[in-house]
Amino acid sequence: MKTHIMNTLAQHTIKMSLVAIAMTSVFSPAIADGYGLAQVNRTSLKLDKWQCKRCKISTDTQGSIGAGLAYNDGSDPRFGNTSGTDKDGLVGHLDADVTLKNESGYRTEITANKLGYDNGSATLTTGKPGQYEVAFGYRGIANYDTNRALTPYMVKRDAMLLPEDWQTGATTGQMVSLIDSVKQAELMTQRDSLTLDAHYKGDFYKAELDYQHQERSGQGAFSGNLLTNSAMLAQPIDDSIDNLGAKIYFNGDGWLAGINTMLSQYKNDHDALSWDSAFSPTFGAAYSGQSATAPDNKAYRIAGNAQFSDNGQQILMHTGFSRFTQEQTFLPATINGPSPDLPSANLDGQVDMIEMTIKYSGRITSELSLRASYDYKDRDNKTEIHDYPQVITDSYFSGTATNPEYDRTRQKAKLAAKYRFSRNVYLDVGYEYDHNNYSDLDRETLHESSLYGHLSYRPSHAWSFRFKAKAQDRSGSEYKPVSRTDSPSNPLLRKTYLADREHQEYKLSANYTGSALFSASASLHISQDDYTDTQIGLTDIDTSGYDISGQYRVNEDLSLNAFLNQDWRDSEQAGSSNFSTPNWYTTADEQSTVVGLGILYQNLLDKTLSLGVDYNYSDGQSDTQVSQGLTTPYGAYFSTSHNVNAFADYQMSESIALRFDWIFEQYQDADWSNQGMSVDSIPNVLIFGDLSHDYNAHYFGVTLSYSL
Amino acid sequence: MKLITNLICVFDVKNAAALILAVLLTACGGDDGEPGNPGEPGGPPATDISSLNVEVDEVIFTHGVATVNYSVNNQDDEPVVGIPSSTYIAAQLLPQGFTNAGNTSQWQYFTSESCTSSCTGELVDHKNGKYSYTFSAAFDGMNEMSYMPGATQRIVIKIGGDSLPDGTALPTTNQNFDWQDSGEVAYTRNLISMETCNTCHNDLAFHGSKYNEIETCVTCHSEGKVSSNDNIFPQMIHGKHLTGFPGSLADCQTCHVNDETLTENMNWARVPGMEACGSCHTDINFPAGEGHPAQVDNSNCVACHNPDWTMSVHDGGNDEALAQFNAQITAASLSGTTVTFSIKLSNPESGEVYTDSADKLNFISRLGVETNWGTSFDYSSNSAKRLTISSETPDSGADGIYTYQVTGLTIPTGSETDRGAIVIKGSICANGNQLADCEMETSTVLVLQASHQFFDTTNITATGRRVVVTNETCSTCHVLTQLKKHSGERNDAEAQCQLCHNNFKTADETAQNPQATSSDYKHLAHTLHAGMRSNYADIKYPGDIGNCAQCHIEDEDSVLTAALPLDSAVQPLMLNDGSFTSPTAAICSACHTSDSAKNHMTQQGAVFMGTEEDATSGTESCATCHGQGATADVLTVHPIK
Repeated sequence: MKTHIMNTLAQHTIKMSLVAIAMTSVFSPAIADGYGLAQVNRTSLKLDKWQCKRCKISTDTQGSIGAGLAYNDGSDPRFGNTSGTDKDGLVGHLDADVTLKNESGYRTEITANKLGYDNGSATLTTGKPGQYEVAFGYRGIANYDTNRALTPYMVKRDAMLLPEDWQTGATTGQMVSLIDSVKQAELMTQRDSLTLDAHYKGDFYKAELDYQHQERSGQGAFSGNLLTNSAMLAQPIDDSIDNLGAKIYFNGDGWLAGINTMLSQYKNDHDALSWDSAFSPTFGAAYSGQSATAPDNKAYRIAGNAQFSDNGQQILMHTGFSRFTQEQTFLPATINGPSPDLPSANLDGQVDMIEMTIKYSGRITSELSLRASYDYKDRDNKTEIHDYPQVITDSYFSGTATNPEYDRTRQKAKLAAKYRFSRNVYLDVGYEYDHNNYSDLDRETLHESSLYGHLSYRPSHAWSFRFKAKAQDRSGSEYKPVSRTDSPSNPLLRKTYLADREHQEYKLSANYTGSALFSASASLHISQDDYTDTQIGLTDIDTSGYDISGQYRVNEDLSLNAFLNQDWRDSEQAGSSNFSTPNWYTTADEQSTVVGLGILYQNLLDKTLSLGVDYNYSDGQSDTQVSQGLTTPYGAYFSTSHNVNAFADYQMSESIALRFDWIFEQYQDADWSNQGMSVDSIPNVLIFGDLSHDYNAHYFGVTLSYSL
Repeated sequence: MKLITNLICVFDVKNAAALILAVLLTACGGDDGEPGNPGEPGGPPATDISSLNVEVDEVIFTHGVATVNYSVNNQDDEPVVGIPSSTYIAAQLLPQGFTNAGNTSQWQYFTSESCTSSCTGELVDHKNGKYSYTFSAAFDGMNEMSYMPGATQRIVIKIGGDSLPDGTALPTTNQNFDWQDSGEVAYTRNLISMETCNTCHNDLAFHGSKYNEIETCVTCHSEGKVSSNDNIFPQMIHGKHLTGFPGSLADCQTCHVNDETLTENMNWARVPGMEACGSCHTDINFPAGEGHPAQVDNSNCVACHNPDWTMSVHDGGNDEALAQFNAQITAASLSGTTVTFSIKLSNPESGEVYTDSADKLNFISRLGVETNWGTSFDYSSNSAKRLTISSETPDSGADGIYTYQVTGLTIPTGSETDRGAIVIKGSICANGNQLADCEMETSTVLVLQASHQFFDTTNITATGRRVVVTNETCSTCHVLTQLKKHSGERNDAEAQCQLCHNNFKTADETAQNPQATSSDYKHLAHTLHAGMRSNYADIKYPGDIGNCAQCHIEDEDSVLTAALPLDSAVQPLMLNDGSFTSPTAAICSACHTSDSAKNHMTQQGAVFMGTEEDATSGTESCATCHGQGATADVLTVHPIK
């Protein structure tokens, strides 16, 4: 393995110096991957001298393949988020990490990680590193929520159907067959993506092509509403995204320019979701409802980048254009009774985005460097504006409404300077101005000024300290509540994202890296948001927290690491029950704690055995209380987990290794919105019941691997 | 517990130690050492009391037991000392949404304690207009209610209805004080003011006239105190007004007026619930789903019945659309027996004059005029002359002012130079708050407020028949455009009704109270409101029927128009058999129906069912004693406010 890394590094260094790598990281991700390089005095470099003399190009097939078998406790599928699969009982997987090379530098890499599990991946990369490469990839990502969502509905393509003998009720309590009809449904999503990437690097250019096809399946929670009655449904998810990207970049002496394009398409196999109403119709004959699902849509983007550097100064320019279109055929406004005419067959929606950036950075003197940038982003909704009939929750027609545009133009200007007082101390200060123009919102303009600075002090090689501070002030044009809605908001209400705000944040951190055996870091941070003009709405947020972490290598074989993090976030909100000045108040106090301990013991039994164990504890909770004279606390809202991840890696022979894994998780959570509830707890909402978790689950795995 | 009188202030200060002096100065506020001198606000105790002003200084809460410190002053801010009896009511308010999502705020009654010769709790009369009352026990647990820290609390103090030891009468006074154990009151439930009730009712008081403020009523008429939920205040008060209400019940704002000083004045529209709504919509059983989709609680109501919707269907009319139309008589004159008049139709909101005549404007449902002659003798014929101009082509006119004629008026000989009255009335159509074509299905018909003009042989005149009641005084109880008779359109109670309801309307001479059978306006109005007419026997006049000023206005000399002597235009009562009752007697005996009253009137020159000649001969001498300023002036013997 080690030689393999060395080889790769040697080859890379021919093309790119470490300095260049560091510099590229300054630039935007779009031009990362080697193209941020300032090609300074390249010609005078004696590249031959950089050749790793000791490195030999091996033509062997290297790496290992493995097969594993495990027992997984899948009784609560949520454990699958940790173990990688929700299957209960024996599960198998394949792992691989194989590299094939020949003398001409041609190389093929095969990797597999837990292939066979829902959360598994595999890649096949082939090509000549540094010249051209083609990579195929597969990756599965599963997200498990619960398999205990109780519902009487059955899924049939786009329809959610009730049992044939279902008897509707005006309230959930009156649905006589409800308790006998409910079955457990699983809420989870599985994403499977296939990727194909190819890139080619010429002398003065680089071309890249990426394709990704991602399919999503599973079931998610959906709320089917008919007037004042609602049913929670396990909505089937079957959709896909295709992305095709192409880039070409050219570079010369002190410059770099390129074009970056992307095509994207979203397809949903479900055009609509319809459901039988479990409730007796409130009015008329609304026995079923229908709702649109996420519509098929397309997007493309074309962007150009250019970058010039000279004498320690860089200018970067970027401009891009994106278009998003959507022309899914409209569903009828209602399926209950005659549907009012729609103004068109589909939205024929089109949103164009233009973005432009110009950035400058330069070293003025050896102590002082400056950065400046200007960003422009414009979202222009070109969809035609029509009067659309409004049907309230598939029940009754309530006049017309026009589609709002929500256009936005955002301009950001930044100016920053970094001054190095001495080798040990530097100060970085900056100012940022963010200006937004909106349409169809309560404010037409919103602008924010930010001032920030950080002071870095490195008194010795071992110690470094950093203090960061930031202050922001946000304001805008007159606040005029939108009048589009039937229920106007309280004139004193200020929406959080548009409200005047004063923000401050501070962070102090310390690092110790003085010993090869021991390193540690600690930081402390606080922030405060004050919504200065808000009488009703979110008024204050205070956060605070700290992080401590340390690594200790006791000796060559034994190392320890630990971390602790705690965060608090307290927010305050005010409301009015009589559409007047505030008369009720809410506080939401959130806190999280994460603790981790890890031990790695290597080179046991004559360097054939490694042991490792990680323990993680995490706890998050939120306490909300509403007070209007009397204080009413909300119920429990928390999650707590203890997680142990232990392994033993035993090298049985030169080529055969055996690995044992043990994962244990104790997990508990609760949400007052469903805790202790049954399907008929709420008269007008047919719910999934109690969705909280409380489990102890184990995963025992054994993997046999063979080194090639 | 015995009534404890504070004796500290009668202590002889001259013999007291300095320390005690200091205490006394604080307690009594006097500095001259005279015994019994009351403290703030100082001055001698009040002897002349027309009203009591109760002010609560504070409520002190010790181990859950409340002590209320308050002061009582008269109208001149003089302390009232020695109040012989008092009642203290304590209640707690649960905030909106507390008992369940969608529920309105609700009162919880704790206790009512009284002091007369003895006290349930402990009363201290500080003898300086200040009093302290300590309740008998902690509120928590009283009436099986839990005291909740932080909740809004109310104490009501009721005093008066009796006299001070010196005989000075004390008016009944209820004063509430809302407080909270830690700081400002966080929420209230002030929906309606007593003044609104008393615009129609006069000085409402219940339970032996002890309780006369709505803030008092709600504390006891609450869940857990009254035995039937029908007697919880909102349900009870809605239920009681369901019958005999003189306006539209659909207009919630008749009582729930938009008064910014009431913190929850829009509660009626913002917090709909089955209890309050169901007390008028009595055909609905919400939990059973009868008359409305089943609702087991109030959590959903506002989802459909949002405030805008509730207001739009309960505003009792459409003021916005009505404000866009005005019909004005710009000219009128009599020639022979024909009245020629001109009308201008306009939109007062925009200032636009409608250029078309009434028959061409599609938003006019009906527009008519009525006219009669003889304002100095209360009109000349049984019925007024009518013309429906919404279906009539004008005789002449252009650009918004059109001229019409009404022919065939009755002009008695000798009255040719008298005056007449012409009234315009009708209805228009609107969709939402905009005028709309009446043919449209979505249009609703809105009744206009009728108006009148007096005129003579040349043009309109500023005055005509006497005006003794006005649309304004009628509107203290009635919504005139919603009167049930004549489609509500004949609603100018000031001068329209009298055109037809005049002295040609005869009475049944065989009736016990003939005036109660006459539709002559004055007799109709008096007997109807007094509940004396057989076809409206269930009318319960909501105020004091003897308060003439509820309806009658003052004349230009600030004399109430109910005063005697009568205006010379008033005619005697005409009976079916051709007999007549003299004018003053006819009016007075409509209410004062007893034989002894009639005997008294007869002895003083009144004529009952005599000849027209006798009845109009002027023998009535009522004004001698009952005239304005006389010994038994009708304005002083009636309970006029």
